[in-house]
This record gives sequence, C-alpha cells and structure tokens, in this order.
Amino acid sequence: MPVQKKIGLTALVPPELIFACRCSPFDVNNVIPGSKKYPRNKLCAWTAIWQEMLSKRELKLDSLIVVAGGDCHNALVDGQKVEMSGVPTHFFFYPFDGDHEYLESQLYKLVDFLGTMGSPEKPGEIKELKEIGKKIDKKRAQGKLSSGDVFRIMISFSDLMGDLDVFRKAISSLKEQKVEMNNRVALIGVPPIYHDFHDVAQSLHLQIVFDELPFEFLRHSGTDIHNIARDYCDYTFARPLDFRIRFLQKELEKRHVNGVIHYTQFACHHMLEDEIMRSKLDYPMLTIQGDLPGKTPEQIKLRLEAFREALDRT
Amino acid sequence: MIGLDVGSTAAKKVSIEDGEIKYQITGTHNWKDLITGIEGNDIISTGYFRNSAPHRASVTEITAAIYGVRHYFPDADVIVDIGGQDTKVIDVKRNNFIINDKCSAGTGAFLEFVANYFKIELKELGSFHSRAKRLPAINNTCAVFALSEMISQLVTGFTPEEVIAGMHYAFARRISFMIPDAQTLVLIGGTVKNKGMLSALEDILQTEILVPDEPQIVNALGALIYYR
Ligand code: SF4
Repeated sequence: MPVQKKIGLTALVPPELIFACRCSPFDVNNVIPGSKKYPRNKLCAWTAIWQEMLSKRELKLDSLIVVAGGDCHNALVDGQKVEMSGVPTHFFFYPFDGDHEYLESQLYKLVDFLGTMGSPEKPGEIKELKEIGKKIDKKRAQGKLSSGDVFRIMISFSDLMGDLDVFRKAISSLKEQKVEMNNRVALIGVPPIYHDFHDVAQSLHLQIVFDELPFEFLRHSGTDIHNIARDYCDYTFARPLDFRIRFLQKELEKRHVNGVIHYTQFACHHMLEDEIMRSKLDYPMLTIQGDLPGKTPEQIKLRLEAFREALDRT
Repeated sequence: MIGLDVGSTAAKKVSIEDGEIKYQITGTHNWKDLITGIEGNDIISTGYFRNSAPHRASVTEITAAIYGVRHYFPDADVIVDIGGQDTKVIDVKRNNFIINDKCSAGTGAFLEFVANYFKIELKELGSFHSRAKRLPAINNTCAVFALSEMISQLVTGFTPEEVIAGMHYAFARRISFMIPDAQTLVLIGGTVKNKGMLSALEDILQTEILVPDEPQIVNALGALIYYR
C-alpha cells in the first residue's frame, strides 16, 4: 500500500473526498490549543500559528487546503503565505447563496487537486460515523456524556483523526456517565482556543450542550460528490447571517438551553456579529474574546462564574 | 455575618448592625486585619481575591455589584463599574455583562496615566475639568495615541484644564459604546468621584447617572445581601 498523503485543512472541507482520494486529512487547528508559540505578525492566533508552523515546516504536510470562501480573510491571507513558502496549496470556496451546483464544481476541482477517487466507498463509511456522532451529541444534551469528552470527539469530525479505524476506537472509548445538568449552555461562534474550556465550564456548573461549529462538522455528509454538494451547501458559517441565525434558533430551542456563550477571537470578524446575535437570540448571553492558546485564563473564568450566577438568578 | 471585598487595590468589610451599615476599608495587602476574630463561616467574600479569604460563600464582583447597587437604587437597570484594571458594564435587566480588560483606554489606569503626565493627583482631574473654557477634540481611542494627541493640543494652545476635559470626553465616549439604553444608570468604582468624567458621560449619553452614597463599599455590601 503506498504511503498516504497527509493533507492539511484550515476549516471544514468535506473529509469524505479526502479519504475517497486515499489521502489522510489533518485539521491544522488541532495543534493550536496546545501550542506555546507567540506567532509573529498575528491577527488571529488560530491562523497565525498554523501559518508559521507550516511555512517553517514545523508541521510537515504534503499539501494544504485553505477554506477561502466561507471562512475568513485571515485564513485566506495566511494560506497564501504558506503557499508562497512552497507548500502545494488549494483554495476551496463555499457559495454564499448555497448554490449546490457551484459547490459541486468546487468539489470536482478539489478531487483534481488530490488525484483520483480510488476509494469511493469511504464517504458512505463516514456518513455512518457521522450518524453515530449525532447520537453522541444527543446523549450529551441528555446528560449522559461529559461535555468535554463529546466536544473532543465532535471537533475531530473535521479530519476524523486522519484514520477511520483510529477514530472509531476513540468514539468507542467514550464512557457514559451521569452528568448533573445545572445550566444548559450553547457555545456559538468559533471553538475556544483554550484546551480546557469545556471542562472549566463544567466545573463551574455550566454544561455545554451545543457546540456550533463542531456540530457543523458532523451535520453534513453524502455518499457521492453530488450528494455531498447538496448537503454541504448548507454549511451555516458560509451562508448569510439570517440563515445561520434561523438554524441556531431551532437548535437552541431543541436543546432547551438556558444561556448562550458567544466565543470569538481577537481580530475576528465574528465579533462584529455579537450585537446581532444578542438581538436575535433571546437568551442571556456571555461574550468571550480569546487571544493566545493555553489554559482558560482567570479573567475568563470570572466571566463564566458571573454568568453562572446570572443564570442561577433567572 | 460580614461582606468582605478583597479587590486589586483595596479591601472592604461591611456588616449590617441594627439596620445600619458599618464598614471599614484598608489596602489589599492588609485585608487580614479586617477579619481578625471573625470566623470564616461568618464571611461572604467577593472581589478578585475572594477565594484567598476564608468564607462561607463567595460571589463574583459582578453579581455582588448588582445586589449592592440594588440596595441604593432598586430600579437600576444598567451598572457601570469603572475600576483600575477593567471596566464592567452590567445590564441587570437582560442579564448581560461586558468587560473591557483588553485595553487600558477605558479603565481607571488610563486616568492615572494622564494624571501622572500632568503631575497632578488623580482626584484633581475633576476640578481641572471644571475650569475648562473650551473642549479640544481627542479622537484616539488608544491610550498611548490619545496622550500624544493631548500633547499636540497643548502645543496648539489649549490649557491643561481644557485638554483634561477633552480627554474625559474621549474616555466617556469609549465607555459609552459599551453601555446599552437604560432608564436608570448607576456608576460605581473608583472613578465615580471624578466629576469631570461623570458630566462628560452624562452629556454623551444624555441621561442622568446615579452614584451611590458609598460607592466603594457597594460590592462588599452586595456580597452580604446576596447571601442573606
Ligand atoms: S477565529 Fe475568526 S479570525 Fe480566527 S481563523 Fe476563525 S474565523 Fe478567522
């Protein structure tokens, strides 16, 4: 069996097609929360750190796929820097208007970049895993699984740990437990850059029962390019805000949340959405802006604790 | 039972005896003096170091502020707490709060920085402001750039009084961006004694701002009431 090519992803790119092309996906954001780097020339630490690590070959990948349309311009610029450093790079665009034919053409370009679809059965296998993922997500909302454990699995749906067998094992190692549900919280925006965020929230009696972006990672699938395009064109982060908000309203209601944490990064355009989220989502809301990776800082713990006290009062 | 607020610069103790509020204030490093002879079980703590002090219960300064302010103004719907290191805006009705601690420009640290530059005491800023005849525009929202803008206003002929007044407006404008519409807006924290800043903020928001009688002890009192 030839050595699999390792393909970096900067955000959600259908991993179905990467496995189908017999490559191994690797979400470059995986290395950020544990990183101790102080990147030069930074706006958002997420993109700045992967940019620096890839350009300096501290992170070795065969090529990189940058989500350009439907993600942020920081990623687009930092992706180009990686390309200029000599890493083969492909730019992937989601349609703003949800046009699935356009997305289908993007998916064909992606397959051209990767080679050929030597394992067309893989998308079907991944679809099954995503069904399991949805059940896990549901169990968490029912208080049967810990918020942090589920988050770590959900966030890994972007690259399925690069190996479906390894990922299956990780899923089966999840242990059911009884979680006391004091305050049911939705985490919207981007995933926190702090590796212990969910566990810290849980220790402060805030149970995260919805992770917006990770939920997108497992929500979309399909067994062939045509189906994948039809499903992924509803990836909410790439669509207009009212589309995303309508989706959020439904999900938050379903999960009976008591409060919302809106997490964004320093220098992230999602911060501009804060006032819209506050006016459209009818829940007590805490806004947190993170910066460099590491443990959840004390100041942020204070906000979480005060938010818990606020929820206790409602 | 006492409320104990151990903050980053001062520590305060509050008790209610026969309906009367009694309090004591000292520097943070002397906070232990406030509780000699008092059992941990009789202390409700708040403030940055709330978990370092013995306590029966602890509560964040945000929640303590809500309870403390309500004692003075039961209808308060927005509380603005301008502290030395951060500024907190608490929207009591909507259960929201915003904290600015990324940048010194909207915090007491900036005012201290300005007072230092003019070689005056922090508490003198208000009286300087009241003597201003004109109001130079200070547009920068970054503390360091605002200072260089202030220096250039001095060079063009504005008096220190006027430049300080202009600075209070720049400061108040920055804070006003964090403040939602409110019927009853209450200001607490060390800067409330600065009348110049207060009037600039009232002018920008076009509302009256209420200040409790004993703004320093609001959080310690709030912790105590919270537990009761
Ligand atoms: S957090 Fe915001 S700025 Fe950073 S990569 Fe994500 S979208 Fe871009």
